[in-house]
Amino acid sequence: MKMVLSQRQREELNQAIADYLGSNGYADSLETFRKEADLSTEVEKKFGGLLEKKWTSVIRLQKKVMELEAKLTEAEKEVIEGAPTKNKRTPGEWIPRPPEKFSLTGHRASITRVIFHPIFALMVSASEDATIRIWDFETGEYERSLKGHTDSVQDVAFDAQGKLLASCSADLSIKLWDFQQSYECIKTMHGHDHNVSSVAFVPAGDYVLSASRDRTIKMWEVATGYCVKTYTGHREWVRMVRVHIEGSIFATCSNDQTIRVWLTNSKDCKVELRDHEHTVECIAWAPEAAASAINEAAGADNKKGHHQGPFLASGSRDKTIRIWDVSVGLCLLTLSGHDNWVRGLAFHPGGKYLVSASDDKTIRVWDLRNKRCMKTLYAHQHFCTSIDFHKAHPYVISGSVDQTVKVWECR
Amino acid sequence: MNPCVLPTPLPDLDGDKRWHSIHRRFISDCREKDPDVIFLGDCIFETVQDTEAWNKYFAPLHCLNFSIRDDCTEHVLWRIENGALDNVNPKIVVLHVGTNNVRNSAEEVAEGVLANVTKIRQKLPNAYIVLPSLLPRGQQPNKLREKNAKINEVVNGLTKGLYRVQTVAIDKGLVQTDGSISHHDMFDYKNLTNAGAKKILEPLYDLLSQILNENEPENDLTPSE
Repeated sequence: MKMVLSQRQREELNQAIADYLGSNGYADSLETFRKEADLSTEVEKKFGGLLEKKWTSVIRLQKKVMELEAKLTEAEKEVIEGAPTKNKRTPGEWIPRPPEKFSLTGHRASITRVIFHPIFALMVSASEDATIRIWDFETGEYERSLKGHTDSVQDVAFDAQGKLLASCSADLSIKLWDFQQSYECIKTMHGHDHNVSSVAFVPAGDYVLSASRDRTIKMWEVATGYCVKTYTGHREWVRMVRVHIEGSIFATCSNDQTIRVWLTNSKDCKVELRDHEHTVECIAWAPEAAASAINEAAGADNKKGHHQGPFLASGSRDKTIRIWDVSVGLCLLTLSGHDNWVRGLAFHPGGKYLVSASDDKTIRVWDLRNKRCMKTLYAHQHFCTSIDFHKAHPYVISGSVDQTVKVWECR
Repeated sequence: MNPCVLPTPLPDLDGDKRWHSIHRRFISDCREKDPDVIFLGDCIFETVQDTEAWNKYFAPLHCLNFSIRDDCTEHVLWRIENGALDNVNPKIVVLHVGTNNVRNSAEEVAEGVLANVTKIRQKLPNAYIVLPSLLPRGQQPNKLREKNAKINEVVNGLTKGLYRVQTVAIDKGLVQTDGSISHHDMFDYKNLTNAGAKKILEPLYDLLSQILNENEPENDLTPSE
């Protein structure tokens, strides 16, 4: 390769060489060089150390280029192989991929929960700023706020048709909001003695269940707002309540490190699941479609020791996720990988994957069949507190202590 | 009677009752959060929560910071007595108080710190109580700097052998060879800058994460299969 230097570059190079020779004590060479190159004896200050600088910077640049090339290859691979193009993706396989489609700001404090509307292209976020916000997840537009709680909103839940929204708060109340027309609070229910941490509708939509730091779970009649049942048994703060799709059982998790499964119609605890070594933060019922993947992961012979389920996933401060066969009260598998508390869980509607949100600021996608983490998304700048997977459309949403709500498109 | 050990609310000299408002907010935080670590103290900790070091080191540990500017030992004592540690069960309480007791002797302040330790122990029988040393203050050497050093020494003696009470020296590295403190480390020669916090709080972070992870199984770093 032939290099051509301009007059000016050549002069500068000569000066730099002269400086190099001088500063390294090559006096004879310097004198000869000066004579041959016809240089004055004064070397300008700006040439001090210039040659060494150029010498080292070339190596540094080479290294940098190599790093960037490697990154580029990886990104290209992700685009070409990792993520099928829009028309090739199938609903059973799509998973959330970076970067996020929208990062939505507006809440003035930590996000505590994010959920999808069951029908419309809407999602709802609850925050410690005592408000609930409604967003369009396809356009990223903010729709409206629901104000009424006087302290942190801890959880929100829709009924099956998405006509009613329930919310619960550290202000000890549970509120029901009309989600068809007025978006107004139509009922406020009191009865818990402490922070209300979680709320869920039964599938028929006529009752709401709430879990509280007062160690109880209460059932409320939607039509009248009366508390009709109180379930006791947990020895500590009850963190989350989630009702099974058939409605006859529901599960709760607690700071007492256990998960309890209750019979909705009596006040009896059907089974207590213990194995976690710290507070159980979150639970999620597995969809029917997940049964084969879970069975395979549990190593069960599909003919004989087939696990019937229902299956429940739980996330804990012990940094693990566990999946249980509730019918026999057994932990079938443990997923570890998160570096901090696991705060949110959602099953992939296709049943092959589980997504989790953690205080290690990541979202992880778990391949159930192989019991491994197949993707890690560095999602937020602070704890990831909540996650939801849309049942039909390719979207995942996450909320964080960094006060943002993010929408992730699946590919 | 030593004023440092008498629980007292901070006098509302400005007339806007801010101190009580902050205290009430801390109490409500206790009701809804479930912290592993609580920082309790004065301006040194209050300003620390705006630094990068706080976000990097302490935020991921599940901390709450119940520190109020200008608080002396007797004010923190009042806050603990009046609900600041109710409804919570942290593994560690980190206490930094005393540097604002400028009118009291080193012995009096040290007793005040110890009174706080005793009060915390009453509320939380099994929590670790970590006492980072009081930091030096003032650009040039002065009496308060000497006094803080003395308080550290006395507190060290008083807490020796107490159950789950531990002092940690974080006061080294601020005073330069000529005896001055740089505004790059302490912007007002009392509170830490980003750079100062990073340098000074690292040992504290090391200690806290050791305590928090004490009972965890060691990670198996050998690849499986």
